[in-house]
Amino acid sequence: MNIKYGTPFRIPRRLGDRFRDIVSIRGVKYIKGTGFIIENKEALDSINKILVKMGLILKPLINCYICGGNVDCDECTFNKSCHKAVTHCICKTCFQQRDLVNIYISKQTQMIRRLIGE
Amino acid sequence: MLWTEKYRPKKIEDVIGNEEAKQEVVKWLIDWFTGNKEYPGVLLAGPPGIGKTSFVYALANQFNLHVVELNASDVRTAQHIYARVGSIGGASTLDAFTGTGPRRNILLFFDEVDGIDPKADTGGLSAILDIANKKEVPIVAAANFPDPVKHKDLLNTFKYITFRPLTPRQIIILLKRIAANEGIAVSDELLNNIATKVNGDARLAVNLLQEASHGLDIDITLTPMENLPFEELIRRLTNSYNINEIRNLLNSNSNQIEDVFYTYYDLITRSNNTSFEDKVRLLEYCIKLNEMFGRMNKKRSFYLFRYILTLMPWFIYSANRAGIVYDGRIPAYRFKLFIQNRKYRDHLNEVYTDRLKMILHESYRKFVTETLPTIKFIDIKDEILEDLLTKVI
Repeated sequence: MNIKYGTPFRIPRRLGDRFRDIVSIRGVKYIKGTGFIIENKEALDSINKILVKMGLILKPLINCYICGGNVDCDECTFNKSCHKAVTHCICKTCFQQRDLVNIYISKQTQMIRRLIGE
Repeated sequence: MLWTEKYRPKKIEDVIGNEEAKQEVVKWLIDWFTGNKEYPGVLLAGPPGIGKTSFVYALANQFNLHVVELNASDVRTAQHIYARVGSIGGASTLDAFTGTGPRRNILLFFDEVDGIDPKADTGGLSAILDIANKKEVPIVAAANFPDPVKHKDLLNTFKYITFRPLTPRQIIILLKRIAANEGIAVSDELLNNIATKVNGDARLAVNLLQEASHGLDIDITLTPMENLPFEELIRRLTNSYNINEIRNLLNSNSNQIEDVFYTYYDLITRSNNTSFEDKVRLLEYCIKLNEMFGRMNKKRSFYLFRYILTLMPWFIYSANRAGIVYDGRIPAYRFKLFIQNRKYRDHLNEVYTDRLKMILHESYRKFVTETLPTIKFIDIKDEILEDLLTKVI
């Protein structure tokens, strides 16, 4: 099961008895009618400790800010030193582009212009 | 000139990372100016060095707003806040900026609101809420670690937006940009080295790049490391046999120093590798420090903090030499009962009155003087018992 930080997720109904264990983990919020929200990486590890016994694993889903594709943290050279508690990063392909800094800045400019409505 | 100042972002697009958070703030500000004032302000929360303050100034610049800032170095009692920012009805400093007309070009910025002390800064938080509820000027507040209890009203009133540490790839973008502007050639190895070790702290990364550009060796162990997660801080402290490294770690994470002390106290009490004489010596050290912390907190004698900062590195160094071992985790029940010191007494009362009273059938006095010390000095290795205790507490 892939999840995105900050977005809600639900656990399968058959694992309902694990609800209390998950909701008592620090960094996990439960919003009635919406689902669980993970707020930090440590919480994800703790949830996976519970779910792995049931054959489930939650993987954080992070989008590339430049191309919008998925960022695979397992492939990243910084995997071990990264907290991963973000919703956006830069994918491997975009990261290797020569003009990375300018592309990133122009992407941000577009975003701001879109918001301001220029 | 420090590069952190020289390259402080001028526009929103110059702020690297936290894209969603930035969008939310911009949307809120646009809504504010179009008349939708559902939230009187936003509260930006996140560890230091990740661009909260820079973003606020960039935001103000982009929208042509004048920032009126009150940060931790200002006195922030209700009286001072009203004097600086202005009681809504009367003339104030704020009016001096805006004339007598509507306050269209002001952005109020309360930095480090979690540092407002309920005792020393009497009425400070209430004054901020009061000004916010008038909805005359947009307000941005920033905090490192807002307390759900102490800042409950603030959290309920303001729109809460989390800023997160940058990823190493985002740090590299930032560093490459600065290197290009400075016209210096930086190896990928150096960039990777900085990005992997700064723990998402952009300010520290820029400082390290500047040091490296001046030909200084970057020794990450002797470099201040702000915003370390608590368990990482304990892990690094327990693995260190270098007094300078310990001192640097403590100095740059001084907001966690009391928790560090109680963690060490806890590690000493249940350590099996330490001789009896060493334990006695270290516990005597603990008593002295505990007395200082107690006096400092109770009488607000903050001058004692410098003595604590002098003694703590040597205490930790002696404990490490005496064989204190950290096994990588602190059991949750121990963390709640013995380390979360600031809410310790309240929390303990709550635990006792809510749960333990019914189970133990003993008085509060007996619980505090006999049961609790027994739990403290027993190192429970059994996982099932530990789970049970955690659930009960």
